[in-house]
Amino acid sequence: MTGAMDKNRYLPLFLVTPALLVVVGLFMYPLGYSAISSFQDKSGAWTFANFEKAFDLYSLDIGFTVLIVVLSTVAIGVLACATGGYLTLGENPRAVAVLKWLYRWPLFIPFIVAGQLMRTFLAKNGMLNNILVSIGLLEPLQATSLLDWRGIVITFVWKQTPFVALLVAGAMASLDRSTIEAARNLGAGRVRILIQIIIPQVRQTLLVGLILSFVTMMSVLSVPLMINAETPTMMTVDMAFRINSYGDYGVANALGFISYLMAGSVAWFYLSQGVRKGERP
Amino acid sequence: MVYQKIIRLGIATVIAAGLIGSPARAETILNVATAGSKNMLDYVTDYLGPMFEKQNPGVKVRAVTTGPGDAGSRKIFDKLDAQKKAGKAKWDIDVAVVHQKMAGEMVQAGLLGTYRNDIKTGKLVTRDTAKMALGTNVDGFVMPMFHSQTAIAYNPDLVKNPPETYDELIAWTKKNPKQFGYNGIKNGMSGVSFVVGWMYAYTGQADKLMNGPYDPSVENSWDSVLSKLKDFNKNVSFTPGNAGTLDMLNRGEIVMGPVWVDMFYSWQAQGRVPPNMKLKLIGPGMPGQPMYYVMPVKAANQDLAKKFIALATSPKVQAEGIVTNFSWYPGIDAQHVQPTLDPKVWAKLFTDVTPEDLASKGKVFPIAPYFDDIKEAYEKKVAN
Repeated sequence: MTGAMDKNRYLPLFLVTPALLVVVGLFMYPLGYSAISSFQDKSGAWTFANFEKAFDLYSLDIGFTVLIVVLSTVAIGVLACATGGYLTLGENPRAVAVLKWLYRWPLFIPFIVAGQLMRTFLAKNGMLNNILVSIGLLEPLQATSLLDWRGIVITFVWKQTPFVALLVAGAMASLDRSTIEAARNLGAGRVRILIQIIIPQVRQTLLVGLILSFVTMMSVLSVPLMINAETPTMMTVDMAFRINSYGDYGVANALGFISYLMAGSVAWFYLSQGVRKGERP
Repeated sequence: MVYQKIIRLGIATVIAAGLIGSPARAETILNVATAGSKNMLDYVTDYLGPMFEKQNPGVKVRAVTTGPGDAGSRKIFDKLDAQKKAGKAKWDIDVAVVHQKMAGEMVQAGLLGTYRNDIKTGKLVTRDTAKMALGTNVDGFVMPMFHSQTAIAYNPDLVKNPPETYDELIAWTKKNPKQFGYNGIKNGMSGVSFVVGWMYAYTGQADKLMNGPYDPSVENSWDSVLSKLKDFNKNVSFTPGNAGTLDMLNRGEIVMGPVWVDMFYSWQAQGRVPPNMKLKLIGPGMPGQPMYYVMPVKAANQDLAKKFIALATSPKVQAEGIVTNFSWYPGIDAQHVQPTLDPKVWAKLFTDVTPEDLASKGKVFPIAPYFDDIKEAYEKKVAN
């Protein structure tokens, strides 16, 4: 059997074809098509008008999107490290077990469901404020709706932290524990061990998780649509609005192109980091 | 080896069963695609579909919804357009329910077939909306399924004298900041409708916007009207969508906001809006719109499609399904529907918004190019 396989040099190529076709047909083609058509007007002539309109109408939203996603990414990083750190360094086995069992749940909830949950949870007279009022932490008149940029950040962080924490906790668990023990013997506290010993060693994994989260959050439509009633709003909402309301694929594609650039620059940053690391063993 | 034989036998059996089984379900499938929220789908799957299947043995009605608002109608447009461009001889949607704006675009793109003059209920509708859709001639291509209207919902316990006009509403929001809420223009049509009503009220161009002809320079006079709206927005709350406005009214977070009349009544019937809430159609007026039954020009089952629409627009179905069950205003002319209805049901539909209100303050949306201009001007001058 193996001999026959070695002889057939084209077999590997043949086996990879379906995957390649899927990537080309369902990813490369639409990506190229939308990138090109963002530089075309409705008759197909080359133009920058779509980008001019995109910046004219939505520059505020573009900035807002960057801020929200960066803020969420930072918060996710901090919380994921804290979660992973406690799972690795926690001394109360029961608390560790409970956290381990609990923290993954949001992973299984789709964004749109998370959006719907948060919509009633974070509203002015929603569950969160009702609880705070009933336990006396908040006066009813002070209650405000969190359904604005804060709602988006809360939902993103809630939804994406488990994903990054899962990766980070895995990486932390596979670390050589002798460095941790050594630091502990020399009297380092847990926070210090986490920040100075553990996180530097899992930095790559953390970065991968955060970049994937960044790109995912850039692409979510349901959460800003369902939660943020205010302006400015996120770019995905504007893209949907351009298409649904005006049938204007040009400006929608221009906005899409701008978000590829953002996602792409993050990916480039990651790759360049990785390569530099590779050069310096 | 034995296992392989068994597996092969199993596969053969399954294929054979499929071949034999398929003639047994040789029923015709009528594909109905409807834009709109879930209530639109419920209407077809729970009410109209079973009725049609009973009257036409061997026919199965398969309904799908493509989502709320113009976005939902656009998905139907995109699907039909793709099938047209692919040169398909038969398209896989037989009956579609779409919004006004897309109905016009579909007619212009040559995607729809004429049918209204072929069915006997076609004569029961004489309103403008059966002939013109936001400035496009759609005569013969459409039948209104129902008409709906936007109005301001309010809590009469907290608002003793609801505003009668946009002017009074502005004054009210100054005294009661953040107590009025609407959903902007990106989150559903009730907010869009409120903005359009604002433009009708303050540009002094309502007739021109509704009837055309289109003149791009009209937009130049809107600056002051839009900056007035921007000021107004400082005193209001924003809600996440049509349903979001009703949710916030229900939770007492706002006490007033624009809603679709039919949605308001059905939520009230389901206990999702307090029973004491009321509606007010404010002057000079707010728009409403019909949903249309349309038949794609290359629908696979055209005769059945016509039969389906004829049933759907018959006085009995309009009275029972549209008015009684779903609180919509009838699609065909009211005088054909009213006699078959319990007067109490009819009266309930018109308690808060009277027929006189509807006649004087129920507007249509602007013609399509002005409509786009208004939305884009809002994005540029109010939201930005």
